[in-house]
Amino acid sequence: MIQRTTIVFGLIAAGCAALALEALHARIMLRSEQARMAGSAELVRRAGLTDLALFTEARFARHPAMADLHTAFQDNPMSFEHFPSGTFAPRPASGFGRGALYFGAEEAVQ
Amino acid sequence: MISLQSVSKLYNEGRPSETTALSGIDLEIARDALTVFKGPSGSGKTTLLSIIACMARPTSGRIYVDGRMTSGLPESFLAKERRRTFGFVFQRFNLIRGLTVMENVLLPTAPLGGNPQADIDRAAARLDTLGLGPKANVAVEHLSGGEAQRAAIARALINDPPVLIADEPTANLDTELALRFLDIVAGLRAEGRAVIMTSHDARIWGSELVDKVVSMRDGRLDEGTS
Amino acid sequence: MTGWLRRQRALADYTLAALARRRVKNAGLLLIYALVVFIVASATLFSSAIRKEAEIVLAEAPELIIQDLVMGRHAMISGELVEELVGIRGVSGVKGRLWGYFYDRVNGANYTLMVPLDETLVPARGEAIFGEALPRTRGLNWDKAPLFLSRFPGDLFRLNPAGRLESDSALVSADLILIGEEDFRSFFELPEGVYTDIAVSIRNSREIGTIVEKAGRLLPHARLITRDEISRTYQKLFSWREGIMVVLAGACVLAFAVFAAEKASGLSAEETREIGILKAIGWDTGDVIAMKLWEGGLISIGAFLLGTVLAYLHVFAFDAALFASVLKGWSVIYPDFALTPMIDGLQLSALFFLTVLPYTAATIVPIWRAATADPDQVMR
Repeated sequence: MIQRTTIVFGLIAAGCAALALEALHARIMLRSEQARMAGSAELVRRAGLTDLALFTEARFARHPAMADLHTAFQDNPMSFEHFPSGTFAPRPASGFGRGALYFGAEEAVQ
Repeated sequence: MISLQSVSKLYNEGRPSETTALSGIDLEIARDALTVFKGPSGSGKTTLLSIIACMARPTSGRIYVDGRMTSGLPESFLAKERRRTFGFVFQRFNLIRGLTVMENVLLPTAPLGGNPQADIDRAAARLDTLGLGPKANVAVEHLSGGEAQRAAIARALINDPPVLIADEPTANLDTELALRFLDIVAGLRAEGRAVIMTSHDARIWGSELVDKVVSMRDGRLDEGTS
Repeated sequence: MTGWLRRQRALADYTLAALARRRVKNAGLLLIYALVVFIVASATLFSSAIRKEAEIVLAEAPELIIQDLVMGRHAMISGELVEELVGIRGVSGVKGRLWGYFYDRVNGANYTLMVPLDETLVPARGEAIFGEALPRTRGLNWDKAPLFLSRFPGDLFRLNPAGRLESDSALVSADLILIGEEDFRSFFELPEGVYTDIAVSIRNSREIGTIVEKAGRLLPHARLITRDEISRTYQKLFSWREGIMVVLAGACVLAFAVFAAEKASGLSAEETREIGILKAIGWDTGDVIAMKLWEGGLISIGAFLLGTVLAYLHVFAFDAALFASVLKGWSVIYPDFALTPMIDGLQLSALFFLTVLPYTAATIVPIWRAATADPDQVMR
């Protein structure tokens, strides 16, 4: 009769092997994937793109970088224009782009 | 080979519910002997057995097994002594449910880290001697009372202990099985082991096999000889 | 050494035999635990992969984008500002960008029309280069099929195909329609000299800060967005999408922990008795604890392996089909992209420790007292 531990340890070893195979797979795919990503990066450079083609429920549709300063569902001009994520994500420390909310050191009240 | 000197046991010491289970026990138990403790319930027989078998610690007094002092040992050493020297058969057998006879019998071998096949062979041989060979892979819930007891005995003997201890072994058995039990005990004595038992059963005390009868009452010894 | 190994194996054997007594319940426990790990691992793997891709791909974006704001909203920016910006030292190129959204009433999708910065990529008059999703969602079945865009009822703006962008770059280009400047201005009815925003290339990335300051002083009303900020935004975007999933899974873990603790804490009389029996027949405290460690360890390691191996397959072979909408967001027109398979060793190790250690420890705590007490007490 096969000991229970033999079966279970065998299964665990198989699991570890599967995980190792997956890691190997990722390693092997790396080169071709890097070539693919380089192609995309090239397109980004030539077209002058700034954003991914992913959509969110926000008003700004495709370019999250270009959000307006004031929008519905925004908790604060500096938080993400994106409900409900804007509530949970912390406000960017440096300001979401310089410009309107940027203060130089010389303007700070002494 | 086992020597008790002024052994006492108190439960719930210092609290209102404090009970004295044993007091001032002085006792010598010989090798190769069948010793029986008798007495009414509450007389402390089971407690005494537990203490001898290193399953409980005395509140005061000393115990020597083959010249080694076992009272006052820390837990890990006590466990070693337990498995090396004693085999215990409980009144209710205390087999682990859901496991087979063979698995139960092999339980005491786990901490020893010995050769698994050798352990299995030994267990099979012992079960055969006790007439349980065919039931080795049966789950213990399906055993009759007599079979369960024999399985418990096999488990107690798997590591070849010099002392077998049995608590009320015939309490739940009919006469025929009780006598069969005594046959087993005779065999063990012939193998050179000490056997210690407690019993209410007059059939046991009266048997010629018994070397020494010890009477107990209220946690103390009455004088008794065979 | 062999003795110790054999001992552990015997203890593990007992644990498995004990677990097998309640086969269905324990199998259910393992599966549920594996499911929780699966959810967390899927979210982690997906998010790592897409963040990596975003980081690499967007590294080539223009270093600085300047946007005009009117009444707090984005407005077209004047081309005259280009001259002013070119003068800033360290700036290697300034170009007005032309891009805009078009809502297609035919399929409810949003396209991005854009004039590429690189002149060699700009198609001829009346022609356009389409991103991967366009032919797919507009049913342009043959290579030369033109695209018709209708800006208002009765309108038809024709664009002949000059090429298609590969699906390899779908993540950045799926919804793109690249056209020439004249077509762009005529499509959106834009006058000459205004742009959507201005893209500034900066030679030395360490100078970006100073140049941003100077540009800010030149154009005090404008909004300046650096490439780093955009990149960080995306990192954050996926991080908190992942976070939402992890929080949900965390709720599951919590429920699971409560269940496990409840199962373990009210140590049943039977289990206590069994520990007492084991001790009585010669197991010491260490053996009992080791046996329990095996129980917790085997279940949690099994759950971890099962959940993680399946999560990798789920994310990279099946495109995270189960959770795709939560992790990627939703839209009518979705880039059909595959993710780079990758395993972040650090995150996986963290997941391993989180899965295995607390659970294993939790199995020990309730039996501690029974394991350390004298067997006699336990069996009474």
